[in-house]
Amino acid sequence: MRGISGPVPIAGVAAAISAALLFVPGAPNRAADHLDPPGRTDPTIDATPDLPADIADIFAWDTDDSVRVIVTFGGPNDPNRPASYDRDVLYKIMISTAPPADTPDITIRARFGRGKNPNEWGVRFEGVPGVTGAIEGPVETTLIKDGVKARAGLFDEPFFFDLQGFRESRSMGKVRFDNRRNFFNGNNDTALVLEIPRNRFAGATMPLGFWITTSRIGGQI
Amino acid sequence: MTRARLIVALGAPLVLSACGSGGSPPATPTPTPAPSATVTPISYNVENCFTQTIPGTGGQTLRGLIVPDTLKLDLTRPALFPNGRKLEDPVIDITLAALFLDFTVTGQSPMTFANLPLNPPGNDKPFSSTFPFLAPPQGSPQLAATTGTSFDFRTDPDSAYTNVDRMGMPAVATALVGSSTKLAYNDATPSADAAGQFAADETLQLTHLTDAIGDDLTSLGLKLCARTS
Repeated sequence: MRGISGPVPIAGVAAAISAALLFVPGAPNRAADHLDPPGRTDPTIDATPDLPADIADIFAWDTDDSVRVIVTFGGPNDPNRPASYDRDVLYKIMISTAPPADTPDITIRARFGRGKNPNEWGVRFEGVPGVTGAIEGPVETTLIKDGVKARAGLFDEPFFFDLQGFRESRSMGKVRFDNRRNFFNGNNDTALVLEIPRNRFAGATMPLGFWITTSRIGGQI
Repeated sequence: MTRARLIVALGAPLVLSACGSGGSPPATPTPTPAPSATVTPISYNVENCFTQTIPGTGGQTLRGLIVPDTLKLDLTRPALFPNGRKLEDPVIDITLAALFLDFTVTGQSPMTFANLPLNPPGNDKPFSSTFPFLAPPQGSPQLAATTGTSFDFRTDPDSAYTNVDRMGMPAVATALVGSSTKLAYNDATPSADAAGQFAADETLQLTHLTDAIGDDLTSLGLKLCARTS
């Protein structure tokens, strides 16, 4: 970077950062949570990657009326591949609403199950605040119960990041970072989406804390 | 990005030493001269990066945001990462700023990199303002049927399952957890985070990152949160 004067081009900042992220052992090569932990989910590391159990991202935000939570997994996946529904994986969305912040006060469990006819899959959400029993129904369908909207399905991969630029900078030894290039373009994720009335969190005594876990029946593959 | 926009984004011109016309930014930076054999590497102490207050977060620190590893959402404040995470938030650029920049310096903020931006500023397909918010899938994948009323769900207790993955704050598990610790981290709970089980590794990884590029960022006119030791 030395030898440059005047305002620094974006490529210079990007080069410095990409260099750090690429050359440090243990540094990110995926970002967010896609294909992490590599030993269980990355096909370049693991001969039997667990795609359905590979969390990609969690999103959570509020509006005047609701709290919205989205969990993506099984991606970034080829746009011609189907969704990653697996009966043997348990998804747990945990929310801490009161101290201590490291323990869940709400645990929402989601599972998939096959239907009776070919290509039928259902999703079941349990533990959604303010909902009596489970929210259950076919995937790719907006399910509504007790004021909560829930859906599971295949969607566009929502994450944006120039991972290709990072990789090319490493392999070519020159700046290849480009903020017009999104490595995740054109890919899909499977997702769980919930919209919960805001008043279901009225009893929270601290900022909400969200985290997601996946686990598999019968052990890791 | 034009030169003017870049200056505004960074809050101040980044005037560096040596030559250059100061004209339009080149497509790639001038090659870095080979380092002298006599140069002593700078060693950084990153503790200040974990403890400095991050502007716009209601007094949060980096450590407070990542320990425990949960995505925090304060319902009394506007949602914008790291207060929650909306689909369109530039989380990577904001995270990079939080990892490297000194926020006591005028012109540096969590949005310094996002304002450039370093990474693509948005998704390739527009998000929806209505449920389910995500964009429809790319390509022409076969979608599951939307029929059926009876499904074969497992009813096994949680104890019958084996952990595979966990996530809270984006990029924490990937950026600040070393390869040798990844499986243990993903098998652990936020209580282990709070107990400090991974604190040393997070410090080590951020130190590695800063050691690698600290001098480059400084040369670009940015002030690091890390201190030289």
